[in-house]
Amino acid sequence: MELLLQTLLNGILMSGIYALVATGLALSLGVVGIVNFAHGEFLMMGAFLSYLLFAFRGMDPLLSLGLAFLAAFVVGALTYQGLIRPVLRAAELNQMLLTFGLSILLQNLALLLFGADTRVVAPPYQATTLSLGPFFLGVVPFGAFLLSLAILLMLQVFLTRSRFGLAMRAVSQNRLAPGLLGIEADKVYLLAFGLAAALAGVAGVMLSVMLYASPTVGFVFTLKSFAIVALAGLGNLKGVVPAALVLAMAEALVSTYLPGGGGLVEAVFFLVLFLALVGRAWRKA
Amino acid sequence: MGKVVGFLVLLAGLAWAQVPLKVGVILPLSGASAVSGKAALNGIQLAADEANAAGKVRLELVVVDDGTDPAKAVPAFTKLMTVDKVDIVIGGLASGVTFALSGPVKQYGPLFLVIGAASSVVEQAFEGYPLFFHYHPWDYHNVAAALQFFQYLNREHGAKKVAILYEDGPFGSAGIGVYKQQLEKLGYQVQAEPFKAGSGQFTAILTRFRAFAPDILYWIGYDVDALPIATQARQVGLRPKLIYGAPPSWPIGFEKNPLSNDIAGMTAWLPTVANAESRRFVEAYRKKYGEVTEEYMAPMGYTILKSLALAAEKTGSADKNRIAEALAGLKMPTPFGLLSFKPSDTGRTKYQGFGSEIWFQFQYLQGSRRPVFPKEVATRPLRYPGEYYLR
Repeated sequence: MELLLQTLLNGILMSGIYALVATGLALSLGVVGIVNFAHGEFLMMGAFLSYLLFAFRGMDPLLSLGLAFLAAFVVGALTYQGLIRPVLRAAELNQMLLTFGLSILLQNLALLLFGADTRVVAPPYQATTLSLGPFFLGVVPFGAFLLSLAILLMLQVFLTRSRFGLAMRAVSQNRLAPGLLGIEADKVYLLAFGLAAALAGVAGVMLSVMLYASPTVGFVFTLKSFAIVALAGLGNLKGVVPAALVLAMAEALVSTYLPGGGGLVEAVFFLVLFLALVGRAWRKA
Repeated sequence: MGKVVGFLVLLAGLAWAQVPLKVGVILPLSGASAVSGKAALNGIQLAADEANAAGKVRLELVVVDDGTDPAKAVPAFTKLMTVDKVDIVIGGLASGVTFALSGPVKQYGPLFLVIGAASSVVEQAFEGYPLFFHYHPWDYHNVAAALQFFQYLNREHGAKKVAILYEDGPFGSAGIGVYKQQLEKLGYQVQAEPFKAGSGQFTAILTRFRAFAPDILYWIGYDVDALPIATQARQVGLRPKLIYGAPPSWPIGFEKNPLSNDIAGMTAWLPTVANAESRRFVEAYRKKYGEVTEEYMAPMGYTILKSLALAAEKTGSADKNRIAEALAGLKMPTPFGLLSFKPSDTGRTKYQGFGSEIWFQFQYLQGSRRPVFPKEVATRPLRYPGEYYLR
């Protein structure tokens, strides 16, 4: 029983970061209508920013969070303006190829600048642990979980209470009608894409503390985010958190209870993606 | 005028006396093994500079990138053979890539000086190839060196239980069954679990290990796993007396992270090794590159090119067969100790450079790696239990 509860706790803690990254992907998919294969590379940028500020300025990753948010937002907005906007009316395949190409380009740029080496930061609280009776709680994963929840709550407030947020939701429901009401879809897209990148950038800082910074660190999170977004319903922002929880729990349970589960854990999101897509197809049929 | 002509004749004579040698170098300068590949290339270039400055041979390096990918390595090697027309090739760092090169190497027949490729599969693939010189120890040498350490831990420190975390690719899982058996023969209870390299998710497995209460947490994986394992072991309350890692390279900055303290591992060389050749290499490396490397592939590359230059000097010829003959009889001091070639332990290949004797165990301590085992190379005693147990 103790093992089960610790496993569930591990799953819950991991779901925060999953939700944060996947929400960004859901935003770009739901609002802008673009499948962004380069989403994980914004996360990678956040991780490297955190590493560089730590290595050369001694800056605590906690302080890098705000900077990473802003930097990733700017990069995301520029990406939208320079690359995404011109292909918004193009065929979906063209858009996907563009973002796929962008992902490869950014990974290779990082390889060129930083090499393939794995880089780590070392804040003093990195391995601090809270013990609650027989249970252990890593301060960093717990902090990352709380921060992710807080950011997602703020996003929810932004989407439901602010003019821009409401405009964003309107555009996500219908691309043409909001224009008739004076909503500039283009600005909304820019903001949504920038925001999506910013969320990934913040997640990148968290992962630089929990894992590492490397040119390929974002890739696996892009894949998992696709599984979460598919499970939540493409573009459905509200469904992202429960879907992230399902994936993280499933991974934790497989890893703990299946023989050799540690090696299978990265296959769980494929299974989730597969079941979500097939399930949807069956429901439609 | 006469003096000028005389000087030119002297220069021409010197150039004539030098052995010109065009050497192909095929290394992973990109991809998963890029860190080791670049270090190896630095070592090779340093040795080439020294050999050219000495004036007896004139080395020209033709460098190609194998991308740590067989699909890129084979065309790159073919280019060396058909376009650059080299007779001597240094390379073969990653086992998978070297295995893929075995066919083309046999087809073109160069003198192949292999820097890495520890897998016995490579040894089988090159069985009977007469110009195959393998400098790096084979995987069974690596296992023997690690087992010697585990035997010591069992005998001297009473270690009884080992939890092994191994990545589920060819690097981590090849021979894990045999490894487990060998440890059990030494008197250990072993619990082994696979994981996916780079996933960063160890909490579940480490939580399960907690019930097993291992004395040693032994991890066979890549650099990306180092920090997540060190942090998550603490976060789930796992308290092994020793964390022992066996990645091909360690993450940049890991030594500065306090969590690396007392983590142990195995290497063939460190800049602190007390050996005259090693000290000379470190100084020369620092002078050329302005930094000190901890990657043992750098002195390995250096050693290979030095031995090649020495063999070419001895024969006074660029002929690959004559150079191979000279290499076979060579005895030279290197940063790893004395180099000489003998048949491999299985008898499959004729020229094996180093064996398990070059491996030693180190431990991270306050920002650097220090040799701790065997006693002959140790610069400080092993800290057992480590601070992750004592916290």
